Amino acid sequence: MILLTVIAFPLIAAALAQLYPRSRLGADATCIAALITLAITMRAAAEVIAAPTHVLVAIPYWVAMDGLSALMIVLVAFIYVTAAFFSVGYMDFRQNGGSRRYYVNFNLFVFSMLMVPLMQEPNIVWIAVELTTLFSVLLVGFKNTHEALEAAWKYIVLTLMGASIALLGFFLLFWAAGQAGIEHYTWSGLVAVAPRMSPVLLKAAFVFILVGFGAKVGLVPLHTWLPDAHSQAPSPVCALLSGVETTVILYAILRLLPVLNAVPSIQADTWLLTFGLISVGTAAFLLLRITDYKRMFAYSTIEHMGIILTAAGMGGASAHSAAMLQIVGHAVTKSFSFLAAGAVLLLIGNRNIASVRALVRQAPLAGAALLLAGLAIAGAPPFPLFLSEFLILKAGLQNGDYLVVGLLTIFIAIAFFAIMNHVSRMALGAGEPASRDAGQRGALPFSCKITLIVAAVPILVLGVYIPDGLAALAALAAKSLGGG
Amino acid sequence: MVKHILFNILQVLVVMGFSPLAVGVLNCLKEIVQSKRGPSIFQPYRDLRKLFAKDEVVAEESSWIFRVTPYIVFVAPIFVALLIPVLTSYPLFWAFMGDMVGAGFVLALGGFFAALAAVDTANPYGSMGASRTRMVGFLAEPVFLIVFFSVSFVADSTIPYIVQQKWVTPMANFFEPSHILLLVAFIMLILAEKGRIPVDNPSGHFELAMIEESKDLEYSGRGAALMKWGGWMKFFVLMIVFSNVLLTPWGLASTMDWGAILLAILLVMIKILFFILFLVLVESSLAKLRLFRISEFMSAAFVIAVISMLTSVFS
Amino acid sequence: MTYIVNLNALAGGLFIIAAFGILATRQIRACLKLFILQSLLLAASALLLGLSPFSIHLMAVAAINLVTKVFFLPWLLRRLLNEEVYTRREISQAITIPSALLIALVLTIGAYFFSLSWVETASAASAIRINVPIGLAGLLIGALTLTTRREAVSQLLGLLAMENGAFFAGIAIAQGLPLIAELALAFDVLVLIFVAGVLTRAVHERTGSTAVGRLSSLREEPHE
Repeated sequence: MILLTVIAFPLIAAALAQLYPRSRLGADATCIAALITLAITMRAAAEVIAAPTHVLVAIPYWVAMDGLSALMIVLVAFIYVTAAFFSVGYMDFRQNGGSRRYYVNFNLFVFSMLMVPLMQEPNIVWIAVELTTLFSVLLVGFKNTHEALEAAWKYIVLTLMGASIALLGFFLLFWAAGQAGIEHYTWSGLVAVAPRMSPVLLKAAFVFILVGFGAKVGLVPLHTWLPDAHSQAPSPVCALLSGVETTVILYAILRLLPVLNAVPSIQADTWLLTFGLISVGTAAFLLLRITDYKRMFAYSTIEHMGIILTAAGMGGASAHSAAMLQIVGHAVTKSFSFLAAGAVLLLIGNRNIASVRALVRQAPLAGAALLLAGLAIAGAPPFPLFLSEFLILKAGLQNGDYLVVGLLTIFIAIAFFAIMNHVSRMALGAGEPASRDAGQRGALPFSCKITLIVAAVPILVLGVYIPDGLAALAALAAKSLGGG
Repeated sequence: MVKHILFNILQVLVVMGFSPLAVGVLNCLKEIVQSKRGPSIFQPYRDLRKLFAKDEVVAEESSWIFRVTPYIVFVAPIFVALLIPVLTSYPLFWAFMGDMVGAGFVLALGGFFAALAAVDTANPYGSMGASRTRMVGFLAEPVFLIVFFSVSFVADSTIPYIVQQKWVTPMANFFEPSHILLLVAFIMLILAEKGRIPVDNPSGHFELAMIEESKDLEYSGRGAALMKWGGWMKFFVLMIVFSNVLLTPWGLASTMDWGAILLAILLVMIKILFFILFLVLVESSLAKLRLFRISEFMSAAFVIAVISMLTSVFS
Repeated sequence: MTYIVNLNALAGGLFIIAAFGILATRQIRACLKLFILQSLLLAASALLLGLSPFSIHLMAVAAINLVTKVFFLPWLLRRLLNEEVYTRREISQAITIPSALLIALVLTIGAYFFSLSWVETASAASAIRINVPIGLAGLLIGALTLTTRREAVSQLLGLLAMENGAFFAGIAIAQGLPLIAELALAFDVLVLIFVAGVLTRAVHERTGSTAVGRLSSLREEPHE
């Protein structure tokens, strides 16, 4: 039952925002719903850790949660909280009009993201993934400018193209499962019949789903919408999009991994490694030429998705648990980065890297946040991403994938250099602080400041100390990847 | 044996005799669809009689090609009519002279000479029309070939009688995707080869826009009559190939007695009538394509023909 | 019941012609009509396949498809978009239509080639042998349409044609899909149309044209 209450609160908040647009009820309801959802998800995660089979079941064969799902919804809930509170101060609805539009879509978007990990039947998961796209499109185009609409159009078209490809993949999966005599078509049922499934069909299904959902995750070559969408959307939405939405879709791809590992002739690992490395490499090189700091963070998302995929492809329990840590680290760090970028945008007024200089002098909190975000996302110690990337490289060396590790190291180094270059010049560089455009606010709203501080806490903490609950959850999650 | 020869000759006479009627019905129906009264369906016969009675005027600069072409254009469809199943479902006496590819060549020969003759007279409209006809022709050639290849691939033969018996007569094969696609491609081909809308306007008078009609521009008297009649016979022959070989191979005489043959003649007329109705519908509802869009039309036909071959290869 | 298989094959052949038609037509109104035809053929195929062995799921799929894509979708698009949008045509394209058709041909050959290895695991049920390659080909041709078109409505129709293709393959191989999945899919298509329509209207109002393919201001070059 607890699982159903998880998804109930965003729906309630959306309904309230729809019905009462005039008052601040929408914003307040969202924040409250976010807090409640975070509490519920953490409670549910604790129950999963404590349960003997590590699986919580709400509706048998339809809605259930295991370790990996629990990790996902906790992350979604956490980013929900930070993004909701940041929106309160950040969003200026007088210019755009439509707090109702924003909050309704916001809550529905979070609802769909919560649905993906909880649903057990793969076709329903596909529907939930489609819903994440549909509810976020209007958010991406929220600013209603020329570029925002272009970004929104590219987003919807490329993502839904990927979704159609993935649909065929799911149909093939269903067919293969049916031929193998599956009883109940759920993720766990698939794992059970995996050895009996026809390798040809399974491989075809996997490739289609990888390519199709890969478009949503940001895997090259269908990634072209990602920098545009993730830079044009309002910053709290970007935090949600980059921080958790891409991860949740990646979750859907990773669910196939134990199924594929049971049929060794498919070489799923090679596909994952190839796609992962190509994405990391492309993102790393493109980061060198970047001129817009929100796009910089967006490319960094592509890079990290590639790293996670590569880690999943490496195989082995240590690589998989490192991948889980990377997921957690990336979620908190990337959302924080976009919140910081949003703060900078509020102060400066445009998205050019070149127009932001010596931010720490001009606005200490925003500058410090940006610096912290840049360091953390590039993978500097002592932040969580450094830890997880290090573990991934170590696991790769232990496995003997020297080529993979070598390439990964080079790409991560290039990205590190690029991001640090830009961020340090923005935050600390010599030069006059940019004069802000007329009409921009001079200081950050209070809610934004508080949110930045609160959101920075996990980044500072997780690099050195991982709470037991989180560690246990990550271990459970890694196990459901079929590590071995 | 004698009956075979007789039926073959009868076949040719049917083609010769009824092709003006087919064109007359087509023109009349087109006008009726546009709420006009339309000419009589026997008008083409009257045209032929009038033209045969007139004198012929020939340009001085033209060569022997110009004088010979009407005869070639007239004889080519007759030759083809000997080869295809018009009335009977069993091969007749001269049926093994050539297969479908050979028939295609013969028809193309007629077209080739017509185009040459159009250039021969130094009439600028003639050469313009001839070059356009050749453009449509060369775009249509690959389609023809692919159609023949897919047909022969499935039926293991290019002789129309065998194709008809092996492939189309069993009902099961009728609905296969390869068959449907082939029908569509062939219809588009007929529209292109015979200069029907959307490729060309057969009733236009504007020489700058003519494609097929320009071939007949310079002829008069007997030459014009033969060119016109030859064109109608080519049209009739293509329709017969479509109907009797590809679309509705039933109703052809399978025995040797006269009753079956006469019935076959009647059924062929009915089939041609249905095709003409369909053609009238197509012509009245589409607009003529601009010249360079014709390549899009023909590439669509080509692609459909190749898909038809694909689906039969892979299933 | 071989006539079911035969009629299904007929539907398949016409389905792929409709897919080529959507790729090859310039006018948006004609594209829309061809798409409606394609959806109709999909519903017909689902109906035929659901006749024997009798499957209420497939009948429901046929009915849902009929209602949403054939009736509701044009109505919804008309409501959301200006009538003038439909008179547009693609004037210039990245690839000419004959080249696009040839690429589509290659894609269809590829589709048949790939699905060869999948369907030989199936029993000799002919419906699968027809639907799967044609469905995959429809998917790929829809993707090609999507990438070569500049007008918003054409891109949208290409997207929907891709889904049609995926479904055409799906009705043959995923017959036991629960009904709730079908309903959710139908709802999802409607939401898609709605969102895309709203977006198109916004683009139209903002930029004065719906040639979304020309929107290319988001690049890596430095802004001023």
